[in-house]
Amino acid sequence: MIRTIVRKEILGNILSFRFVVTLALLLIVVPVTTFVLTNDYLKKVADASLRQSEIETYLRSYGHFNRIGNILKAAQPPISFNTLVRGLSADVNMAEFDDDPLPVMFPLVDLVFVVAILMSLVALIFAYDAVSGEKEDGTLKLMLANGLARPKVVLAKVAGGAVTLLVPFLMSLIVGLLVILVHPGVDWKAADWGALGLITLGTVLYVMLFYALGVFISARHHASSASIMTSLLVWVLLVLVVPSLSPYIASFLSPTPSRIQVEREAERLGDTERDDLGRKLEAERMRELVARYPVLNERLSEADQKRLMVRDPAARAAFEAATKAKQGAWDEANRVQGDKIDAVRRAAAQKEEAQTELARTISMVSPLSVFTYLATDLSSTGLRNEAYFGRISGVWDREFWDYAQKKIADLQAKDPATDWWNTAVDMSDRPRFEYREEAFGGRIQAALPGFLLLLGYGLVFFVLAYVSFLKYDVR
Amino acid sequence: MTGTIARKEILSNLLSYKFYVVILLAAALVATSFFVMTRDYKERLADYGLIRPKPGEPIAVNPPNPLSIFAKGLDEAMARSFEVGPTGISVRAGQKSGNTVFAFFPTPDFLYIVRVVLSLIALLFGFDQVSREKEAGTLRQMLANQTSRSAILIGKWAGNFLSLAVPFLLVTTLGTAVLGLDPDIRFSADQVLRLALILVLTLVYIAVFLSLGILVSTLTRRASSSVVILLFIWAVLVFILPNLGTLVARQMVDVPSVRALSEKRQQVWTREVLLRIRGVGDWPSHIKTISAENDALEADYRVKFDRLVKLSKNINRISPVAGFVYAATEIAGTGIGEEGAFKSEVVRYKNAVLGKRLASPDLKSSDYPAFLYRYRPLGRVLTRGALFDTAWLAVCGILFFALSYFVFVRYDVR
Repeated sequence: MIRTIVRKEILGNILSFRFVVTLALLLIVVPVTTFVLTNDYLKKVADASLRQSEIETYLRSYGHFNRIGNILKAAQPPISFNTLVRGLSADVNMAEFDDDPLPVMFPLVDLVFVVAILMSLVALIFAYDAVSGEKEDGTLKLMLANGLARPKVVLAKVAGGAVTLLVPFLMSLIVGLLVILVHPGVDWKAADWGALGLITLGTVLYVMLFYALGVFISARHHASSASIMTSLLVWVLLVLVVPSLSPYIASFLSPTPSRIQVEREAERLGDTERDDLGRKLEAERMRELVARYPVLNERLSEADQKRLMVRDPAARAAFEAATKAKQGAWDEANRVQGDKIDAVRRAAAQKEEAQTELARTISMVSPLSVFTYLATDLSSTGLRNEAYFGRISGVWDREFWDYAQKKIADLQAKDPATDWWNTAVDMSDRPRFEYREEAFGGRIQAALPGFLLLLGYGLVFFVLAYVSFLKYDVR
Repeated sequence: MTGTIARKEILSNLLSYKFYVVILLAAALVATSFFVMTRDYKERLADYGLIRPKPGEPIAVNPPNPLSIFAKGLDEAMARSFEVGPTGISVRAGQKSGNTVFAFFPTPDFLYIVRVVLSLIALLFGFDQVSREKEAGTLRQMLANQTSRSAILIGKWAGNFLSLAVPFLLVTTLGTAVLGLDPDIRFSADQVLRLALILVLTLVYIAVFLSLGILVSTLTRRASSSVVILLFIWAVLVFILPNLGTLVARQMVDVPSVRALSEKRQQVWTREVLLRIRGVGDWPSHIKTISAENDALEADYRVKFDRLVKLSKNINRISPVAGFVYAATEIAGTGIGEEGAFKSEVVRYKNAVLGKRLASPDLKSSDYPAFLYRYRPLGRVLTRGALFDTAWLAVCGILFFALSYFVFVRYDVR
């Protein structure tokens, strides 16, 4: 019996106007998006290689170690999954003078955007009259009069609806993938296909979740016109409002000092406060020394001091001890203040991390955020990749500085007279930064809670729909 | 007669479930958005207090714009600090960089609420205006009473527009008044005028979507198909078109990437420093080279970027939503045009500072002219596109309404 109802649902949906419109819309939007993103990706690849060759040209004539950190920076290259998902890669770049403000005005479309916004809306458009519409038509009464169990009806409805929703999506995705595969410049690896498979699985869960939500809302209403209204309101809240508000709520609940404030504090600790401490320590240590070497108390000019040092070994010892004490005092001050600065920075970073984590948690009230994190993490374009990139570029940084120290030491040994830090040096044997995507296993592990959460939301909505339908007055 | 119908529409709206849910939602969202964005503005204001240059320091900082509470736009980019160092401009970004979740989702400012939620609400007010009355059979009775079709349509439009606009204006003005009581937020007379213009623009925007709703309602026999069509149109207009348009424009205009530019800048100054150490030329001539090359990079980027902006604006304008966003942000002084003007002002300031420094090398670092950015006057903003966008929005609205009139005249009410 279940199969008959599923079949009926599918046929009823396929023949409906909304199905045709959904199919047409997706068949246009997804391929156009992939086409545009693929071209964008190829452009970025060309740009990256051009930049690389410009750096090489520069290094041939002007590469010197003192300012090399400004020239050689680890950069995230475009990855082949950017043909479908843009993630956090938008070129806004607020830390530079030439920023690109266009994505701030309108966020750019990608597959995640299409699924998260469009597919969830479509799911509700399909589901809003699943129960209330049949009641209005009078067919629900007839079905149940036929001795059909209610659980079967609601199960079949969710299953049938989800299948009809996924068909247009998968069709449009296949057309979009053809666009990508036809391009000779794009090389998808096994891990990319694996990620795509898992993102599609996430899409299935996401769409079913919204379909179940729609059936639940439908089963709470007796008129379809009221049901669509509630569905849209819930959709607006879950999809449009909660994710946008979440970082602001988090910054309210778990405030962090602003980065500018932290930098100012660090500057103060390293500048005026360090000087105060240094002077204080110097004075303290000098007091002890003066008690031991009265000669230090005499106000002598530098020339007199030198003369005295040559003449008198005791004075020499006194002045050397004084220099050492002064140096020690300032080293101590630098160390103490350096530790303080580190502590301030670390505390700020910890607070930022806590706030980000809180924002992430709050936003996960919305399935849209769960899906977005899941898809961007799987395609290594999201938060996880950012942390991963930070780690591997840190490793490269250290490697490069070890290389720099060694190279300088070698050069210095050969020719001690030259200031090798400020001389152009051949660096063609330097360790190069190579970005490799994180291993697929790690990405799956990161996405697993997202899958479970989507499944959990789906089950909750399904149970709610089920319970509401059991009590539904079909008359 | 039109008045009677408008009255009837308002009364029936007032008694409906839809009206209360929708208006409560809109009010809650506008209030939340005001609260959240005010906090954001105040935090940025506190940052500004910290980085505000002391008299004579060569730093260009623009205070955050209070209108960014309504339309944040690019205000964050404009409120960064641009410090003129010996070799160029170094930028200090705002505080948001710490929490990456901000980068994932759009800013929930007033503009966003209007753009996304209010447009949807306006459609929901319009979608069943004709088809519902037909389904209920009241349309026949009205017309049998010798009411003219135009009177019905205009009455319906006016009634629904008022029942949308009045509560919305009430909530917004109330919210703005509360903002006005806050001692930290001061609007100048010019900004109040700009705010009023944004509200007018919002009303036009609502009118466009209400007319679109009524148009589709006259084109369909059943309210249920009308709502489905409208939701698809809405999704395309609000989400797909403006967001895809920028990407499409990028395919056609070659703009150097931001990263390529910043790398080039670094290469220029490290090269000049090395040449100076090698003893080629004197320092002032190197500074001049660095400055000139950076300005050339900037000028080249500006030309190309302006072309990209122009093209993407024109593509995006297919959707009235984009026109609304452009007009509202430009009027608020947080738009793309204002940001461009601000940037060129910063470059000019940098050149003034460098010129002064080169002219008298032993100048103390505290003797520089102060940077003051004057927003483009409202008149210029309007003539440079905002007026066009508003007019385009109005034309869309009138077009939709006129079309719905033509269709309604031929509507089969049986």
